[in-house]
Amino acid sequence: MNNTVSSHAGTDISTWQAFCATLKRDLVIALKRKNDLLNPIMFFLIVVSLFPLGISPDPVELSKVSAGVVWVSALLASMLSLDNLYRADYEDGSLEQLLLSPQPLYFLVLAKNIAHWLISGLPVVVLSPLLAYMLYLPSEAYWTLVLTLLIGTPVLSLFGSIGVALTVGLGSRGLILAVIVLPLSTPVLIIGAKAVTDVMFGLPIGNHFALLGAILAMALTMAPLASAAALRISVN
Amino acid sequence: MWLWFSKLGSPRWFYELSNKWLPWLYAAMIALMAIGLFWALLIVPEDYQQGQTIRIMYVHVPVASISLACFPLMAVAGTITLVWKMKLADMVAKSVAPIGAWFTGLALASGAIWGDQIWGTWWAWDARLTSLLIQFFLFIGVIALRSAIESQDAAAKACAILAIVGAINVPIIKYSVEWWNTLHQPASSISFDSVAPNPPEVWVPLLIMISAVYVFFVIALILRTRNEILQRERRSQWVIDLVSREKSV
Repeated sequence: MNNTVSSHAGTDISTWQAFCATLKRDLVIALKRKNDLLNPIMFFLIVVSLFPLGISPDPVELSKVSAGVVWVSALLASMLSLDNLYRADYEDGSLEQLLLSPQPLYFLVLAKNIAHWLISGLPVVVLSPLLAYMLYLPSEAYWTLVLTLLIGTPVLSLFGSIGVALTVGLGSRGLILAVIVLPLSTPVLIIGAKAVTDVMFGLPIGNHFALLGAILAMALTMAPLASAAALRISVN
Repeated sequence: MWLWFSKLGSPRWFYELSNKWLPWLYAAMIALMAIGLFWALLIVPEDYQQGQTIRIMYVHVPVASISLACFPLMAVAGTITLVWKMKLADMVAKSVAPIGAWFTGLALASGAIWGDQIWGTWWAWDARLTSLLIQFFLFIGVIALRSAIESQDAAAKACAILAIVGAINVPIIKYSVEWWNTLHQPASSISFDSVAPNPPEVWVPLLIMISAVYVFFVIALILRTRNEILQRERRSQWVIDLVSREKSV
């Protein structure tokens, strides 16, 4: 009697509980590894501060490119941290447990993606005004930059997750991941950076937000499905 | 219908059937190419604005139109691979990726040569050029993923997923890029769509060239797929028989 109960215990938790448990687990693991947590943020800071060295210290020139620089750096920082998403889980076998669990994989993947965004995307969003200030972005564009990053960086995590899921089983995957993920991320980069530059010219930006929101909605509904399918292939 | 469908999935059946198709396709391509090239390069009058360079269009437009068709084709083949596990569909998907990359590269190159003459620059961050460039990167991604995964079965499924995700993204990229560069810079004076207002002596040879290059594309795809079939089925009896027959001839 006891046996049957315990063997079914795993299926008794609801999808919502499984979602929360996965999210919590990933966040706890990330908080315990301070280096992994800091690296994307440091990378973001360093890349952004390379641009003035490469372009010019001139405020006029820098303010023209500042939106694009922050956006491209955010994109690269998000990609750099992607490997954490499934790799450790793949190596210690917990990813297999995730795939075997009776819960819908869509929600588990979504939980992992949200955790990844909270760890790597949100700090970038929070830091962006500081970097925008250092790059002489006009102050009226700060909020637009923060808001576009707030909508755009989750999309980067969701698209990136597909790329990692496809390559998690491979030995050397660093560059392949970039080749797969970066072209997919171009629409978000274009629209996000465009919104910020448009606000600097005093143009209306409502349509940019509508498009970014549409892409986020599409990514939220469809990208985890693709990630889940890819994971099932990679972990065969 | 289902019998036909499952038959189509058999690589051997396709190999034998394409043997019969190929001579006709070769003949059609040579005829269309000869007429099209002769007409386009020698008979079509010079454009009053672009002069002789208008003839680049007869290569550029067919190549570009096919490069746009390759990604959807790869996604459809990928879907068939995932849903029906048809081996042939994956062979087609694998064969179309490098061809698509080549055609995209050719479209970019011929466009650059044309652009140098008309715009005075090899490269501009024009919407069409940029979206084609990103599509080129997507093809490279699919090819890189395929070569990185050792297991053939896993590579087939992974590339199928990437092809589908990419195909959903291609229109988004296209529209975002178009809209990105049309706000700052009014639509350029050279429109690639300007076939309609032109007289038939300009667009009829273009149609012939488009069909000629399409037939060329189909031939290239069939030949690549046939190679793939022979490679994957090299242990099956019919391929061994085929090779020994070829050797004895």
